[in-house]
Amino acid sequence: MADILLVIFGVSLLFASITNMLSSIVRILIAQGMILFVLTLLKTTEFNAWEFAFVALETIVFKTVLIPWFISDTINKNGIKREVEPSVSNFFSLGSMTAIFAFAFFIALWSGKVNQNLYPLHFGIAFAAILKGLFIIIANKKLITHLMGYLIMENGIFLLSLALGSQMPHIVSLGVSLDILLSILIAVLFLNKISSTFEDVDSDELSTLRD
Amino acid sequence: MLYIYLWLFPLLAGAIAWILKNRTLNRTLVLSHAALHLGAGIAFALPESALAARFGIDSLSIWFFFISSVLYFAVALYSLTQKQSLSIRQSGIYTFCLMAFVASMDVANLSRDLGLIWVFVETTTLASAMLISFEHRKQSLEAAWKYLFICSIGIALAFVGILLLVIAMPNNPSLTLDTVLALSETISPFWLKVSFVFMLIGFGTKVGVAPLHFWLPDAHSEAPAPVSALLSGALLNTALLPLLRMKSVMDACHLGNLASQLFLVLGLASMFIAAVFILKIKNYKRLLAYSSIENMGIILIAFAMGGWMKTAGMIHIMGHSMIKAAFFLCAGNVYSIFGKKDYDKCSGLLGANPPSGWLWLLSFMFIVGMPPSPLFVSEFFIAMGLLKSGYYAVLAVYFILLASIAYGLGRASLNITMGKPEKHVPLPFLQYLPQTLLLLGAVLLPFLLMYLLN
Repeated sequence: MADILLVIFGVSLLFASITNMLSSIVRILIAQGMILFVLTLLKTTEFNAWEFAFVALETIVFKTVLIPWFISDTINKNGIKREVEPSVSNFFSLGSMTAIFAFAFFIALWSGKVNQNLYPLHFGIAFAAILKGLFIIIANKKLITHLMGYLIMENGIFLLSLALGSQMPHIVSLGVSLDILLSILIAVLFLNKISSTFEDVDSDELSTLRD
Repeated sequence: MLYIYLWLFPLLAGAIAWILKNRTLNRTLVLSHAALHLGAGIAFALPESALAARFGIDSLSIWFFFISSVLYFAVALYSLTQKQSLSIRQSGIYTFCLMAFVASMDVANLSRDLGLIWVFVETTTLASAMLISFEHRKQSLEAAWKYLFICSIGIALAFVGILLLVIAMPNNPSLTLDTVLALSETISPFWLKVSFVFMLIGFGTKVGVAPLHFWLPDAHSEAPAPVSALLSGALLNTALLPLLRMKSVMDACHLGNLASQLFLVLGLASMFIAAVFILKIKNYKRLLAYSSIENMGIILIAFAMGGWMKTAGMIHIMGHSMIKAAFFLCAGNVYSIFGKKDYDKCSGLLGANPPSGWLWLLSFMFIVGMPPSPLFVSEFFIAMGLLKSGYYAVLAVYFILLASIAYGLGRASLNITMGKPEKHVPLPFLQYLPQTLLLLGAVLLPFLLMYLLN
């Protein structure tokens, strides 16, 4: 079961490389949130009750409902164009995603040797998601897409911390705190203010401060 | 328990500020927090103090905590006379964010648990992003966004580094530094290296080392002067501390060489980037921000060399914090006198406001390392260390970069201070006192360090 979910998570990363619509990336985020929720449920035995409640609630409330809802709301309210408008072609994006997967699994084979608690498929997918998030941030100009890249990266980090949950349960709660604090502030406070102050939410716009 | 004490006052004071809505009260709350903080700093630093031992705080933590408490007190004094353009609600938020910012830095400074340090470095980002964006101008929003986004990515990468550290120690359920060091023989070298690189990129972003420094000049130049002083003098140190802690882990695992080389490369790159931009730009607050990048580079070089150079690094950390905070507060004075941010549009500070002019010149002399500045001592010892270890090329580059930075800062400082003033502008006494105290402290504190190390 966990394996199938992990593979679906990986496929969602590939899908993120070829889609042209912002709304489908939002859907990818929702799907990833759900997968993470189920994966947390599968790991129930490793947490105590409070920690489990905290983590499960966070994945379902923040990752699956609140943040995706907020992003679509921002897109609608500010009349942001619905296309992703990446600076690189879909083909290139898909090619680099494949390379990222290859690299992540290459490292994952090592990880399994050193640390018995770690499952290579889990590590590989998580690491690929982190790199994919970074790639999206680099390859796009729109601030809203940057934010989505950041969220995919956070999902990857959460997945990685989940893999280490049996060794160090509180590390998962730490990862969750990253999520809650940063996403609230970035999403609610800044994007609202920035989008009302700047005409178009594009990183090229943020160039009044330069040397 | 200690962390609850540290957060108790900010939380209570935040609640009081929220309920009572009074500007004078808010300023008093900040000042009393700063005074308590300074008291705690002195109590930790006293040689016979049992307090530090009781809470398990090491000398590195005490030193960083003490520096930040002196700085915070100076900033609180300076803020007393600031013109209050904020609404009452904003003033309450400002008060709470400032105290939460300092309290988060405290926990990150005092803790020896890498997980806890990471959480509170992250919290500093949140609190200070609010402080930077306070003026709600287009530029300050832009600066805050860049700061928040770049540092968030950095802090996320640092967390990946921590996760990789956990992978490197399969049988260890704790992230306390003592446990990690005790298990150093069993840590997998490959994963430790990868983890260190991630943490270096992550926390290094927050320290502002080149080429990860892009947020720093924007944030420092757009924040109000007291916040810039705290950002540059205290926050950069707090972000540096986990790197120094990780360096000790690398040393214990016989990977100190790799860590040193990385520190050295990043240190030189920071000095180089700072030198190039200091020669080019006109905005004096950005100049000071680039000078912070330079000094962080020098500190990294000191810790890269290790051994007794670490002491030089500690002195440099203290000297830079005090002097740069004084410099930023002086920049606040200059801005309130001339109302401009480019140095070629400001001149005659010595005539317009002699105390500010002299403080500015003194800060400049101290930051480029003229005696009796502590930076003279540290930079001299770092040069000696480089010479002794046979890094002649690095030494040559180090001197050339130091000289060009001194030239760039000197040109700007002389332009601002010399020349004919348009009119005489008096400022309140409290806008000179903190800088004077900071500069005096910078000269006297190395002796305290010597005393502590004995």
